[in-house]
Amino acid sequence: MESRTRSLALRVGSILLLLLLWWVAAQLVQDGDILPGPGAIARAMVADLSTPDPEGRSPFFDIGITLVRIFATFSAAMLLGIGIGLAMGLSRLVERSLLAVTPLLLTMPTILMVFLAVMWFGYGETGGLLAVLVVVTPYVAVNIHEGAKAMDPSLIEMAATFNAGHGLCLRKIYLPQLMPYIFAAFRYAFGVTWKIVALAETFGLKHGIGYMFFFWFEQFDMRQVLAWIIMFVAMMLALEHGVFARLESRAFAWRASAGR
Amino acid sequence: MTQSNGGARPRLDRTAIAVENLTKLFPKPGRDGAFTVLEGISITVEEGAFVSIVGPSGCGKSTLLNVIAGIETSDGGSVRLAPRAARANAEPRIGYVFQSPRLLNWLTVEDNIRFVLEAQNVPRSSWPELVRRNLALVGLAGQERNYPLNLSGGMQQRVAIARALAIEPDILLMDEPFSHLDAITARKMRFDLMEILARAKPTILFVTHDLAEAVFLSDRIYMMTTRPARIFKRVSIDLPRPRQPEDDRIFELEKTLMRDFFSVVEAGA
Repeated sequence: MESRTRSLALRVGSILLLLLLWWVAAQLVQDGDILPGPGAIARAMVADLSTPDPEGRSPFFDIGITLVRIFATFSAAMLLGIGIGLAMGLSRLVERSLLAVTPLLLTMPTILMVFLAVMWFGYGETGGLLAVLVVVTPYVAVNIHEGAKAMDPSLIEMAATFNAGHGLCLRKIYLPQLMPYIFAAFRYAFGVTWKIVALAETFGLKHGIGYMFFFWFEQFDMRQVLAWIIMFVAMMLALEHGVFARLESRAFAWRASAGR
Repeated sequence: MTQSNGGARPRLDRTAIAVENLTKLFPKPGRDGAFTVLEGISITVEEGAFVSIVGPSGCGKSTLLNVIAGIETSDGGSVRLAPRAARANAEPRIGYVFQSPRLLNWLTVEDNIRFVLEAQNVPRSSWPELVRRNLALVGLAGQERNYPLNLSGGMQQRVAIARALAIEPDILLMDEPFSHLDAITARKMRFDLMEILARAKPTILFVTHDLAEAVFLSDRIYMMTTRPARIFKRVSIDLPRPRQPEDDRIFELEKTLMRDFFSVVEAGA
């Protein structure tokens, strides 16, 4: 408990320090169009959230649609990646045929994928969302494949001696052993997904937080661009630490209880 | 507890395990050809008997158990298993206790036992009673909700024994189940095993490198040499039960069998 309050204090402290540095820098620059101070950004945020966007919709609509896009593509990429990674771990044939392809997909620069997707599928939902699938799925699959290779064969043998079926093994032996790899992939996939969705929104999509970046970028309004970026990052951090970290500590309760 | 230690085991003449002339080859690593792991192994275990296979480490004892359990194939000979008389027409149920507990550490003790009950399609309604009874049998009543990593090595192995017994096996295969435990825990576990089996009454095939352990536990011992593994001696242990681990007759038998073993090893070398 003590270490938890300590780490919280450290985190809050470092954020306050950053705000202070920012404020000092803004005082030195003395130009609100290049580096507005924290106070100006906070006022911009309040203004943004209380006025409709350029399309006449509520700003919460933009935030909502970005979240929906992130979760839809993220879940699809995770499910697909876990499925493919497991198949690679369980079948030699799948493993050998896919190991030839994954490095190609993994080395492809993300921004190129977004451009390609936009060129193939146009400025619509499909393009941006497919880009996420193509970029994130191989990473998840490779991670899960590593996990599948690291599974303890003695437990699989134990299951075989008791005639455990595939479904039961999947639920009680494979997936629990893959949990650390699933969470590692989860973290990365989530980070990459929101970056690509923001990118796709900036370049191709109507509505969404990324679209708002681009709109204010075209107006060259530093205050608004920064306000939206900070809101976006704060939201993602809250999700990461509030939701995922909690899920993770729950999934590994059996370890924590073992006198650590 | 000392007095009840097992009691007489039933001596029926139905054969539970019949291994005939079993041969198993392993491919030579990195080369063509194969070497013989098991050569012409024949073993008979009557229903309700406790039979041990004793041999040096790495002689292929575990492979033999795996072939009998059906998780490895053989390259010749046959293995026949029969269920206990009471369920004559069913497939024989096999319980397996390994050298290490092989528990699923992310599941509670109770869920580890439920895992094999689900694997064997045991009706869900009988799970609570099977879990309760078998944990009590191995002396772990009240540990249902605990996680394996919170238990000592000996307790984890008890869970593994409860897990194997929960499916009410016709045949229980045990692969050096006490070799990873310290001497005092192992001694206690052997003693308790006799108690447990007197009540659960499966047929047991027990593999060990420890002659004293085999003599203390068994009705009969098969002695094995290594490379390739062959049976060179079959000994009935007719000491009355309950037995005491410090019984002089056990020491005498162990000494005699040890001499036999070394005379065979030296003749072969």
